[in-house]
Amino acid sequence: MKHNHPVFLVDDEPALLKALTRLLKTEGYQPKTFTSALDFLKLPRSNEPACLILDVSMPEMTGLELQQHLLAEDSALAIIFISGNSDIPMSVRAIKAGAVDFLTKPVKDSELLEAISSGLKKAVELRDARNERQELRNRISVLTPRELEVYLLVVTGLPNKVIANQLGIGEQTIKVHRSRAMIKMGAQSLAELVLIAERLGLVGSKK
Amino acid sequence: MNWVIVIWSMVAATCLTLAGVHGFVWIRQRQALANLMFCLTATSTAGMAACELWMMSSETTDSYGRALQWFNFTLWMMTISVVGFVHFYQGSGRDWLALLVCFLRTIAVILNFSLHPNVYYSSIDSLRHITFLRQTVTVADGTPNPLMLIGQLSLLLLAVYLVDATFRSYHRGHKKRALSVGTSIVFFVLALSLQTMLVFWDIVDAPIVSSLFFLGIVVAMGIELSNDMVRAAQLAIDLQTREYELSRERELTDAIFQSAPGMLYLHSQDGRIVRWNAQHEKITGYQSDETQELYVKDLFRKEDIPKLEQAWQLAFETGAHEVELDLIPKNGQPIRYFFTAVRVEINKNAHLVGIGIDISGQHALAIEASKQREEVAHLARIASMSELSSSLAHELNQPLSIILSNAQAAQRLMASESPDIHEVREILDDIVSADIRAADVIKRLRSILRRGEPILEPVAPSDLFSNALTLVKADLEGGNILVTRRHSVRLPLIHADRIPVEQVLVNLIKNAIDAMSENAPRERQLSLTCMPDGSSLRFSIRDNGCGFPNGIEKIFEAFHTTKVNGLGLGLTICQNIIQAHGGRLWAEANKTHGATFHFNLPCQSFIS
Repeated sequence: MKHNHPVFLVDDEPALLKALTRLLKTEGYQPKTFTSALDFLKLPRSNEPACLILDVSMPEMTGLELQQHLLAEDSALAIIFISGNSDIPMSVRAIKAGAVDFLTKPVKDSELLEAISSGLKKAVELRDARNERQELRNRISVLTPRELEVYLLVVTGLPNKVIANQLGIGEQTIKVHRSRAMIKMGAQSLAELVLIAERLGLVGSKK
Repeated sequence: MNWVIVIWSMVAATCLTLAGVHGFVWIRQRQALANLMFCLTATSTAGMAACELWMMSSETTDSYGRALQWFNFTLWMMTISVVGFVHFYQGSGRDWLALLVCFLRTIAVILNFSLHPNVYYSSIDSLRHITFLRQTVTVADGTPNPLMLIGQLSLLLLAVYLVDATFRSYHRGHKKRALSVGTSIVFFVLALSLQTMLVFWDIVDAPIVSSLFFLGIVVAMGIELSNDMVRAAQLAIDLQTREYELSRERELTDAIFQSAPGMLYLHSQDGRIVRWNAQHEKITGYQSDETQELYVKDLFRKEDIPKLEQAWQLAFETGAHEVELDLIPKNGQPIRYFFTAVRVEINKNAHLVGIGIDISGQHALAIEASKQREEVAHLARIASMSELSSSLAHELNQPLSIILSNAQAAQRLMASESPDIHEVREILDDIVSADIRAADVIKRLRSILRRGEPILEPVAPSDLFSNALTLVKADLEGGNILVTRRHSVRLPLIHADRIPVEQVLVNLIKNAIDAMSENAPRERQLSLTCMPDGSSLRFSIRDNGCGFPNGIEKIFEAFHTTKVNGLGLGLTICQNIIQAHGGRLWAEANKTHGATFHFNLPCQSFIS
């Protein structure tokens, strides 16, 4: 089929799951359905980008509670909420916590399908960003402690001289550490070095 | 020593002294006629003693005769004054007897002065000297005049009068006084009569010594009078003590009156303020002289006066009543007061005594509380409405979502090149069952809204009124409504679902209040009655408001209203509630003004 990424449906109403499944199948998706949030949590995690269509109000564990659980994992899961009685604070909370969309029941097919496709796109992005972060983390892990020290000071914009003074070593030595770090991190320029540091969350973006 | 002169002079002196004392008493106290009479008795006794001395020392028959003439005069004076004394002092003798005694004695004295030598003798033939108390004294020999019997008869009658008076006085309870005065006087009068008769009829050879007997009478009378004076003095002392105690008591009540924290007042039945305390003046702003001129109703608003008069009447009828009213002091700023009134009898006139307590604080709080209660009730209604609508939305959303998604899936299937008819059929089945589910939701909701059978329990009709009136208290006070409740105390219980029936009463009372909003504030009268009507009780809510401006026919139709902000559902709901109880709700226009709503509810005994 044309869609390889999995789509999950969580709702306590089996008839609705059935209807939504039918709808999604017409677009070539193969959704997996769960009648409770807890059932969904039992599913083994994968790193695959995926889309989760989640009902807000369910017994035992609500959709919003499930979202909080999933946030803890660094998963590539795009969440689309569907709710019978949505109010603004609830939807704001969901979106702030990273939900892709917040739809009101009854859901129109076009809205839902659009949300799913953009959700999957976002999931792919999430997956790519995560992979990149992983890659960068791998690279940074091969820096020696001194190289890491120098690297962290360099990306704050300090000149070599100041760094040398701060660390109490020669400016020449700083230059050596710096060029080794650049090679190990695979960066061509200082700007690239800073960008990587930013991606890894090592430096705060300027206010 | 001449004992005769000594004794007779002493008698005269004693009598004159006593006469002087009691004469003085009479001069100071003109109403003390008994004292005057005693003074006269004593004086005449002194005169009599003088006359007797005169007789005993007479040397000629002429002189003796004149002395006897004057003796008779003193006897007349004596008799009159003794009768007078008994009359004024004991007040118990028979008047006709007293008059007869005086009349006979007066005839005797007239005859005495018109006859020669006197009434006792037709002629005095000679004088004799006899020895009396070892002295030589003169006595007369002559022909006794039978006319002297008149005087002696008078003496006897006097004795009878005295016995009678004593007897009657004794029976009236003045036992001691009757015995001491009466018997001594009677004794001496009888002794005296006897002695004089014996002398004049020449049976005993002795001078006339009447004054000695009269001295006895005078002494008896004098002792009694002085007892009286002692008693009077004691009474005066008692009176003083009591006055002192009374003034202390008065000071105490005044202190209590003045120190009371609220207003204290005593109202007379004609609506005047009779007594009041300092707080009364301070609170009303009317000074003492102004308060005297006030009527109680001057302290209230004109429109509150019917309420005041109603409370007033109840207080007089039942003995005690309380009322809450706005007091209007001199400065015109109304203050909410709670007044009590207790009926008291003062000088056989009914008065009301009571206190007034400033409750403006509590009153404002109560109004505030009742407003808040209403707001809470309103919010609760809104909350339950929104809760209802949100659960309704949820309940309906599910099937609608299922239907929509299924239908759209089917549309998509049908749009494909080779639609799976089997799948479409399944989808249609699911749509149908979801639709049925939605219909069920609506059906269930309707049954919730309609509210099923009322939950019946025994309820006292007066409780229904009381609870409903409590719920509309703020409206009644705000609308200045005068409420009268009339129902017998011994009404049977009814079988009802308390809260909706109270709601009916509240609705009808609120309608009545609204209907009277155009009335002048003094003319807003709401009357609640409950009376047996066959096997049920009939509740009636009567107002004197605008009645049915749009006619009476449509009032029970849903969405018919005369109110700007009304939905027109109130009476329809009321009617449903009453009908659910097996009762009936109807309305009629009053002959004069306003409307009366009636409903009846079956009595418990009828149902069970």
